[in-house]
Amino acid sequence: MPWKYWRWSADHPLPLGASERAAEGQAVRAGDIVAAGTTYGTPVRVAGARRLGVTSEDLTRVMRVPVGGDVERRTVIARTGRRFARAVSSPIAGRVIHQRADGDLYIAPVVGRWVVRSTLDGEVTRSDDACVTVEGSAWALQGVAAYGPDAIGEIALAVDGPTAELHPSRIDVRLRDRILIGGARATAESITRAHACGVAAVVAGAAPAGGLRVVYGEEATASGATTGPDAPTVLCLIGFGVAPLPREVFAPLVALVGARAAVHTASARLFVFAPENAGDFAQGAPSLALSDDWLGARPMEEHLSLAGVTRFASEIEADAVSTNDGPVPVANVLAFDAPRTPQS
Amino acid sequence: MTTSTELVASVEIAHEARTERIPPGAADGAVLRVIPGDDVRVAALLGRDPQLARALAFGALSGGASLVALVGTHDGRTFVERGAFLRDAQPDLIVALATDRRDADGLVELAEALRFGCAQQRPLPHILVSADEAIRDRIAASCPANTIEALPDVRTPAGREALVARLRAVRRRAQGDVVLRDEALEAAARAMAVEAKADVVLLDVTGGATSVIHARPDGAVVGIHERLGVGAAADRVVARAGLDRVRRWIPRAVEAPALLERVFNRARWPDAIPASVLALSLEMALAREAIAHVLADAERAGMSLEAAWAAPLVVLTGRLAQLPRAAQSLIVAMDVFGATGPTLVSRAPDDALVAAGALAARGRVATLPTIDPIAIVAEMWPRRSAVVRITDSSGVIEERVARGSFVLVPTKGVVEIVMPGTTVRPRAEHLELGVVIDARGRPLSLPPRDAERIPTLARWNSALDVLPAEAR
Repeated sequence: MPWKYWRWSADHPLPLGASERAAEGQAVRAGDIVAAGTTYGTPVRVAGARRLGVTSEDLTRVMRVPVGGDVERRTVIARTGRRFARAVSSPIAGRVIHQRADGDLYIAPVVGRWVVRSTLDGEVTRSDDACVTVEGSAWALQGVAAYGPDAIGEIALAVDGPTAELHPSRIDVRLRDRILIGGARATAESITRAHACGVAAVVAGAAPAGGLRVVYGEEATASGATTGPDAPTVLCLIGFGVAPLPREVFAPLVALVGARAAVHTASARLFVFAPENAGDFAQGAPSLALSDDWLGARPMEEHLSLAGVTRFASEIEADAVSTNDGPVPVANVLAFDAPRTPQS
Repeated sequence: MTTSTELVASVEIAHEARTERIPPGAADGAVLRVIPGDDVRVAALLGRDPQLARALAFGALSGGASLVALVGTHDGRTFVERGAFLRDAQPDLIVALATDRRDADGLVELAEALRFGCAQQRPLPHILVSADEAIRDRIAASCPANTIEALPDVRTPAGREALVARLRAVRRRAQGDVVLRDEALEAAARAMAVEAKADVVLLDVTGGATSVIHARPDGAVVGIHERLGVGAAADRVVARAGLDRVRRWIPRAVEAPALLERVFNRARWPDAIPASVLALSLEMALAREAIAHVLADAERAGMSLEAAWAAPLVVLTGRLAQLPRAAQSLIVAMDVFGATGPTLVSRAPDDALVAAGALAARGRVATLPTIDPIAIVAEMWPRRSAVVRITDSSGVIEERVARGSFVLVPTKGVVEIVMPGTTVRPRAEHLELGVVIDARGRPLSLPPRDAERIPTLARWNSALDVLPAEAR
């Protein structure tokens, strides 16, 4: 089924330099800061254990500033002895970022700060310097690819129907911090305008692949792209080009307008924080058909019947299903919730 | 636990989303599975010898792994940059290489950056160290939580084999008793070369990967396997080659944005079928660029392709062999694989060859299935007009060849050709298409402007009757 109320897990990978993290077991809401930290400039290596005349294992015992601690210039980081003291002091203001196996220390200046926000209402189940994982219950819609940073906001409808294209003229600053629901296609112009107007994210059946590459760079692939916080967030629910949304997907989105929601880019999911009994959203997965020339996909709302082995224009012979537009290869018909990554 | 191949009743071959069983039907006993394998991300910590990066690239390509980060002792990055780079790369395996004792301090610095960046990664990547024992100990001290494994010098064949074996073990991961597709293909190529007593090149293009394998009659095999394909990895081909290089092979005017949408949709639609001629042309274009980039990467990694270019037998498998017309498979291979001598090109459209290779990889004597010979390809670049003599059951045909010509001579029954400048006389019992004389020269150059490019492609395609009428 496309919409599912479930206990989901969302990983939030952290950049280097985390200084604060939510504790395991802590309750968080989507949008809450679960980790904060700093970005570093060029570090300086400082002789630690060697300078003090201690072993590297003993260095921790004599350190006055632990790894991760902030220091000012000339701050004593470690010290031994009383009358004939030996000390290691910081040559720069910054943070002690790393202790080497040989007992030397790295100190780096702080050049920026970052925060990571939760994309789920729930509980922190993992919290370390690499990742904060939050588990919680929500309605969710699995997309095919997402681009940009995670986003949190209220759902707002920006199209008249599931087959409509998201037009830039429908977007203005009143939609700031909202998650916009587009229809069959979110154009590159509407994505950039939405970003300029402070819209949190755009969710649509499809987005133009060329436009995504313009916005996210040549490295953007069909699997999505995670970026820093200064880029727009786009969630493609079905594919690329044009893909009208099935009724089973669009109707709940209309019903959920105004609900708090989040886009988790890494898993390409839209989480909506509404009660389990908010509506009869959990319906069977509709079928989707890839167009013959692969230029888009469409929901198959007609009755499907097998047409047997059919010879297509490309001369490929394959099992097909009958549709109003002619036969479609069975391989090109997938359920909305079918896995879209190959088996390994 | 490994199933004895004597007990194996059928072989199951995994594709993007579907699975084929050889022989088809319900399994009547143990089933041996052939899988593409996980994508293994390898990061390298390298000493100052420039050969190390090439040797590692060769090993990674042979093992079907993706080289996601190369960090050198003299790369000019700061400690923080190295740590962030390795963290973002999320490697499954680290390979540390140093041949010079003077690299010890530099390599330890890189190991410290690794611990700084990836200490909390789950699971922690193992570190394979190909270096002096003292360096290995110092790396172990810098990364005490990581498992350290010794590796022979990867610049030697033994070292490369050890690396490939390790990479394949990681690619199999918790999959149990399985054979990797590239292992099966290498075993099949080896068996064919031994049987034919001649060099064999096997070109395999699937949705998610492309393999180029060269097997010699003495049993030596070199394979290059990369995550570039015509399906799930189609977007990677475009990211690697650029859209224009893919687009140039399509024999009609196509807008780049629309082409990219097709590629992205195909990448996220496992096992999709190209129902239209345009989609089929795109699949062929992606296959060309995938093979071309695998060959280019192999050369960059120091693999000599001279013997492969001269191989008298070329076998096509995977999606490349499943194109509806034999001429389509042939022209894709010919456009990017520049053989230096006359070559018999065959294709194995079903998975029987892969299944036989999987059993051979497990040590069972392979009974190779019959494969379909498509054509004898005579590639030449004559200084002046030359004559190629073709003998088949209808008699002798003499074809005069000038530079730039590209012709198909249909044949019947047993075929033999005599070419100027070579004593090799390729012979085949039966050819699906006939003899193709290719004097287009290498590397192939396509005009950049559509007005000249499309007629050129149309001429080549019509010479072999490649595409259905719609695209002409």
